[in-house]
Amino acid sequence: MSKKLFFMYKNADYVVDGMRSALGQAVENNYAFGAVMTDMPALDEHNKENVDWIRDMEGEIYSTVPSVCEQNELTPITLEELGQKLREMEYIIPYGVK
Amino acid sequence: MANSLGIFVTNPDSVQHIVGVTKAAKAKGIKVKLFFTWSGTKLTKDPAWSELVKLADDVSICADSYKKMGFNVEDVPEGLTTEKMATQAQHGDIIENYDRYMTL
Amino acid sequence: MKILHVYRSEPDSDTKKLVEIVSEGREAAEFKLHEGQVDYDKLVDMVMDADQSICWW
Repeated sequence: MSKKLFFMYKNADYVVDGMRSALGQAVENNYAFGAVMTDMPALDEHNKENVDWIRDMEGEIYSTVPSVCEQNELTPITLEELGQKLREMEYIIPYGVK
Repeated sequence: MANSLGIFVTNPDSVQHIVGVTKAAKAKGIKVKLFFTWSGTKLTKDPAWSELVKLADDVSICADSYKKMGFNVEDVPEGLTTEKMATQAQHGDIIENYDRYMTL
Repeated sequence: MKILHVYRSEPDSDTKKLVEIVSEGREAAEFKLHEGQVDYDKLVDMVMDADQSICWW
């Protein structure tokens, strides 16, 4: 049965792989979401495609950082909204390190 | 599956906690699966690795991450087989089949 | 719904806020991995007892 998972990324060195990990769970028929909570370099085309793929499978990648949303076409979310989304999740995954 | 714990390891900084939790869980008769991804795969070269693969019931790593950390996929870490040099599906197995879950 | 918050390091203001929202109206416990001698036996009991464990950075 499909589960709802939310990955959170606080460290730029872990964002891209953490998104790949979220995509891996979307492919496994789970609902995978993610939130970038740090400044980060622009995503390359391959990783932008990964975000699109997550969206195609009813997931989403958000960011609490406005410049990151703008640069990488991620969906804006506030900390409060993020907290509310987490309440709906079966798995909450603070990915990597701070 | 009752009485089981899956641990998703995403970084190399928590090795003492992985060993501590795995040991304590096994002492209680809990089945433990460990899956290492991204820089967590660096722990395959940690002195504690030999103990971890003996302690846990099931250990696998993300082969793609292992390669990205500069290792050769033909260099299979101690205690693993090529089948355990796997994909994120191993994380999916924890989510699907294990009672309890931790990220370390 | 019983939630266990496990801290791998000192929680920052974002983590504290998220913990507060996630725990609201639910039974919540916490365990600090970054302070002193860790009682792994107790931690495993708490993880197995909780419906959901969140291991914060």
